[in-house]
Amino acid sequence: MSELLQAKQPSLFEFARAHVLATIFGIVMPLAVFAVFVGYPIAYTVVLSLYEWNGMTPTKTFVGLANYEYMLQDRYFYTALFNNLKWLAVTLVFPVCLGLVIAYSLRARILPFPTLVRTVMFFPVTMSLISVGLMFLLILNPLFGAFDTLLQSIGLGGLVMEWFGDYRVALYTLTVVSGWAFTGMPMIFYFAGLGDVPKDTFDAARIEGAGHPRMLVQIALPQLRPVTAVVVMLTIFESLRAFDLIAVMTKGAPFGTTNVLGYLVYLESFWNGRFGYGAALSVAILAVSVGLAAVVTRTLMRGAFDV
Amino acid sequence: MSDAIFNFADSRRALLGFTGRLVGFTLLATLMLIWLGPVLLVVLTSVKSNNDFLAGPFALPSHLTFEPYLKVWFALGFGPLMANSFLYATAGSALAVILALVPAFTLSRLDVPGKKLIFGIILTGLMLPQQTVIIPLYDTLRSLNLLDTRLGLIVVHAAYGMPAQILILRGFMTTIPRDIEKAAYLEGASDFQVFWRIILPLSVPGILVGFTLNFIAIWKEFVFGLVLLNSEANFPVTVGMLKLNSDRYMSVFNLPAAGLVISQIPIVILFILTYRKISEGNFAGATKG
Repeated sequence: MSELLQAKQPSLFEFARAHVLATIFGIVMPLAVFAVFVGYPIAYTVVLSLYEWNGMTPTKTFVGLANYEYMLQDRYFYTALFNNLKWLAVTLVFPVCLGLVIAYSLRARILPFPTLVRTVMFFPVTMSLISVGLMFLLILNPLFGAFDTLLQSIGLGGLVMEWFGDYRVALYTLTVVSGWAFTGMPMIFYFAGLGDVPKDTFDAARIEGAGHPRMLVQIALPQLRPVTAVVVMLTIFESLRAFDLIAVMTKGAPFGTTNVLGYLVYLESFWNGRFGYGAALSVAILAVSVGLAAVVTRTLMRGAFDV
Repeated sequence: MSDAIFNFADSRRALLGFTGRLVGFTLLATLMLIWLGPVLLVVLTSVKSNNDFLAGPFALPSHLTFEPYLKVWFALGFGPLMANSFLYATAGSALAVILALVPAFTLSRLDVPGKKLIFGIILTGLMLPQQTVIIPLYDTLRSLNLLDTRLGLIVVHAAYGMPAQILILRGFMTTIPRDIEKAAYLEGASDFQVFWRIILPLSVPGILVGFTLNFIAIWKEFVFGLVLLNSEANFPVTVGMLKLNSDRYMSVFNLPAAGLVISQIPIVILFILTYRKISEGNFAGATKG
């Protein structure tokens, strides 16, 4: 028995001797790229978060956990953190759920012109968020913007707001714009995933008289759990790396209420010259993403993949 | 062959009653209004003269003008910006694909012990928010004298593009049947010969999809370009376009609108050439197995 197992699974050393080139270029090289561009930078960031450094001088001053103590008292940090979480919540509700509904409607032949719909929905995914941001700056402009004009012309002028100026709305404007650009992504994933669900399950449910909403929730969704796991992971990391839209649309204004952690890292490091504190904020982003990813792995992913 | 989820969903008419079709067309109209509307509006704005712009966002232009395109092209220096972005996207993606080919082959066709762990480690690079590595990258590139150089940015793009390329190519290579290479191995072929003669030629469609997606990703990328470059001569389109959000350009919208259209043209061309392959979910499928 053990001999059989050994014959099937050679040790890494035996593999390396039998496949020299594949080991060097197929395993060592990508792991080296990982070490240089992911492992080392993360370690560097963690170490730097214990120092004070202005980014210019060669000397860095060790300050222990001072950056973290400061962070826990920094109200900009909390605003940014909660903004990231709001961003994630809006993204999970609007683009992800809508992407699923569109994918289902296409597969169930409710939506006509499937190629048109998929092309139009996927197009914004190919746009840079800088372009998307500029585009909605034009459309949501308070003076010449098309959106306010449209609202007024259909008698909803009362809904017109300072989309970027009002501190209560600005962040949601950003998240909705980000969702506009992102919807095509979950749609494509769910569309592909639905193609793999056995047709008989839907036919059986149909014969038993299930309507589309029930089939979507009770038949499709459970079968799509692996896809949902991937989509949710993707959404988490997209929400935590939110940056571009803020840089082009609000720069954190009004009053820092649209800051997110990623933008705060940039501001503190490259504008305020506090690279140590910026590094501590980076560690916070990392901690939040690892934490959220762990939750997804424990819940959605459990049993979703046969790994 | 139908891509519907029902066996008997061959015609919409048979499946949906009047209400169903009404729901379908209402949904379609809403989606088009929200997703196609803004894009068309920007294109419309970009061909308006200043006077036509003042007539309102939905007013049709009295005549088409391409002046905004010329003006914004020269004012913002789109020539060098586009050339830079093209260089970063082409060189970065090509390098990422080249780096990913052998790892994808090794992890899909050979029995590597601890394969899943190795694959998992490599993929963490995909999930990393760029902000968590941006300070070390900045410092490292500076000490290597690569800060604010085109080469520096290309290397960074290639390194961070590689994991996604390994994912896509590995997914693609897994679908290639094993019979041919088994015969080749029996005849005494080496790994290299199997890779070079059999797997590589069969992977060309996967390589094209991977390259395209990577090209689009680099064309869209902003954070690395913003932080790792200082001189305007090196800026990619995304960083250069930040300037459009200023009073100088935002007083009349036809200039920024034309800039937006220009920045997207290369992607539209690429999209037209390849979107069928991409939107069919080839890369979504790469997450399987």
